[in-house]
Amino acid sequence: MSDWDIAIKRGVEHNVPRVFKVLREHPYLEDLARKVREGKLEVLSNLDYYIEMTMKSVERIGGKAYFAENAEQAREIVGKIVGSGKRVVMGKSMVAYETGIRKYLQSIGNEVWETDLGELLIQLADEPPSHIIAPAVHMTRERIRELLKEKLGVDPGDKHEDIVKVAREFLRQKFLTADIGITGANAVAADAGSIVLVENEGNIRMSSVVPPVHISITGVEKILPNLEYAIYEALVQAAYAGLYPPTYINVTSGPSSTGDVEQKRVSPAHGPKEFHLILVDNGRRKANEDPVLREALLCIRCGRCHFHCPVYRALDGKWGDPPYSGPMGAMWSGVVYNDYKPALLCSHAGNCREVCPMKINIPKVLEYLKSKYFMMKAGTRER
Amino acid sequence: MIDEDQLNFIKKNLMKYLMEDYLPFPVNKSVCHEWANGLNIRKGGATIIYTGCSYQLAELGKKFDEVLPTLSKFKGVEKFSSFLKVFYKPKDTRSYKILRNIASILKSSNVDFGYLYEDEPYSGTILLEMGMMDEFKEYAKKLVQLFDSYGVKRIITVDPHTHYTLYRIKEMNSSSWNVEIVNYFELIKNVKVKGEGTFVFHDSCLYSRFLGMRNSIREVIKNSGIVLKEDEMVTGKETSMCCGGPLAPINKEISDKIARNRAEALKSVHNKVLLACPFCYANLSPYVEAYDFAEVVSGE
Repeated sequence: MSDWDIAIKRGVEHNVPRVFKVLREHPYLEDLARKVREGKLEVLSNLDYYIEMTMKSVERIGGKAYFAENAEQAREIVGKIVGSGKRVVMGKSMVAYETGIRKYLQSIGNEVWETDLGELLIQLADEPPSHIIAPAVHMTRERIRELLKEKLGVDPGDKHEDIVKVAREFLRQKFLTADIGITGANAVAADAGSIVLVENEGNIRMSSVVPPVHISITGVEKILPNLEYAIYEALVQAAYAGLYPPTYINVTSGPSSTGDVEQKRVSPAHGPKEFHLILVDNGRRKANEDPVLREALLCIRCGRCHFHCPVYRALDGKWGDPPYSGPMGAMWSGVVYNDYKPALLCSHAGNCREVCPMKINIPKVLEYLKSKYFMMKAGTRER
Repeated sequence: MIDEDQLNFIKKNLMKYLMEDYLPFPVNKSVCHEWANGLNIRKGGATIIYTGCSYQLAELGKKFDEVLPTLSKFKGVEKFSSFLKVFYKPKDTRSYKILRNIASILKSSNVDFGYLYEDEPYSGTILLEMGMMDEFKEYAKKLVQLFDSYGVKRIITVDPHTHYTLYRIKEMNSSSWNVEIVNYFELIKNVKVKGEGTFVFHDSCLYSRFLGMRNSIREVIKNSGIVLKEDEMVTGKETSMCCGGPLAPINKEISDKIARNRAEALKSVHNKVLLACPFCYANLSPYVEAYDFAEVVSGE
C-alpha cells in the first residue's frame, strides 16, 4: 500500500463511524442543517443585497469591510493592511489559499506561519492540501515525524500526542509575537457583521485575539442572514466533519471592546484594535447566476463527501485544484478556476450526495460541469 | 490523469457508431440478441424486455477500455469499423444465461412481454455517464422515436445503467414520452424465486442511491433464501462504494484501483459477492468471487 492508501484508510476509519455516531446522538443537527441550507439559499437569492448589508454591519461595529472581485484584488487589500516586515499568523482559510495570500505576503517581506497543524505541515512540506478540513490527511504519522525532524530539528517520536506537542511548542512563540492574525470565516452574519469560526486546536482563537490586527478573508457565499443562522452553520460544520461538539466556536464582531466603564462600549480592549473583513467573489457571483452551479455555493466545507467518495479515496488527494479537492473540490474547481476537467473523474457513485449536510446534488453538478467541458472543447456555446 | 486525445477519440467515434447502428462499438449486432434464440419471445408489442445490450457488451466494453489509450493514438483505425461490424461476434455465454434466466423468471411469473431482437438499441448510458449531454440528448431522441415506432408503452429493464438512462430520457421528455419504465426486480418482488448460499451484496450505485431500490432489491434477495452479510462501513447506503466501471473510459488505472479497493472491502465481509449489474461484475470479478443475482436464482 502507498503512503496515501495507508493514510486515507486510517482517516476514513477514524472519521466515518464518528460522524454517524455524532448524528445518531444529536438528531437535532439534521434540523439545523436544513435551516442552514434555507438561510444560505435566502442569501444566494439576493446576494448583492446581503453583501452590502454585511459590509455596512461590519463598518457599524467598528470594523473595516472590503469586497474583492478576484484573487489579485484580495492580495492587494491584504498587502496594504499588512505591509512588510511583519510576523503574520494564519488560521486555516481555504479562501486565503485560493487567493494566494500566504505566498504573496512572504514575497513582500513578511514572516508568515500557518497555525492549523495540518496546514503547518503543508507549509513545511511545501505541498498542496489534500482535504478541505484535514489538509495533511495524505501524510502518515511516520511521514509527519520525519518532516518535523527535518524542518524543525526536533524528533517528536511516533506518538500522535508528541507530534502535536512539538508543533504546539513551535507555534507558541509565533502567536505571542505576531503583528497580524489572518483567519477565514465559517459563516458571516449579515445583520450583525459578525464572523463565526469553529475550531478545535485553539489556534484560531490565538490568531484572532493575540495580534493587534485581525483580518478575516472569506467567500461571499459564507454570508448568512443573521447571527443565529451563522452559529447554526458552525455547529453543523463541526458535526458533519466529525468533531462534535467543537472545542471552540468563536464569534468576532469588530475589534475588541469593553463596556465596563459606565457601560459605554469603547474599543479597543485586550484583543485586536483593528478588524478587517474581506469578502471575496472570484467567480462566486457568476456561479450564483447559474441554477445548477448555485448548489455548489451551499457547501459548508465539512469535508464529509471526501471520505465517502471512491474516486477521492483511490486517488492521491490530488483531485481538483487546490485547496479544493474531492467531490466538492471538483465542483469548486469549476466555480473559482473555471476548470471543468476535474469533474470528468466523477464516477457518479452518489455517496457524496447521501452524506452532504446541505443536500447538494454533487453528482448532478459534476455531470453539468462535464457537459460544460465537452461544450468548451467543441467550441460551442457557453451555458 | 485525463488524456484529451482519448476523450476526443471517444467523443468522435462513439456518436458515429451509435447514430449508425445503435451500438457503442463496431461489433456484429447479433451479439446483443442471440441470447433470446429459442425462447419464443414475440417481436415487439406494447410491453418489451429491454437489455440495452448491457450484459452482452460489458466484458467487451472492458476490453475496449483497455485498448483505448493505444487506439486513440492510432490514426486511421476507424477504417476497420465496417469490417468489425460484420465479422466481430464476441459471444458472452454467461450474460446470455443471465438474460435467459431473467426472461424465464418473468415468464413464470406471468409477465407478458416482447423483445425487439436485432432492432434493440443500446441505451446511450456511456454518453450520459461521461457527461456528453448534447450528444446524449441527440441520441435519446433517436431512441424515443425507435420505441415509439414499435408502439412501446412499457419497458422492462434488466440492469441499473439502462434503467437509469431511460429514467433520465423520460425526465427530459416528460410531456411527450408516455412510457412506463419498470425494472425486473420490481416485477419479481412478489414472486417466489429460489436461491441459496451466503453472500455479501455489492450494491449498484444507480440502483441504491439514484433509483431508490436498495431495500426492495434486498427484500427480493432475502425472500429467495439467500443470506446476506452486512457491515455498516462496507454495505451501508452511504458507505458502499463504486466498482470503478464508469471511470474506465476516462482512466483505466483509477478505475481498476477503485475496483480493487471495493473488492478488498467486500472480502472483509464475505468471500462470495452477489451483485446485480453487468458492469460491476466486469470490474469486480477479477479481484473477488462474484455472482450476478440472476445467475444464482431460478423461478419456482
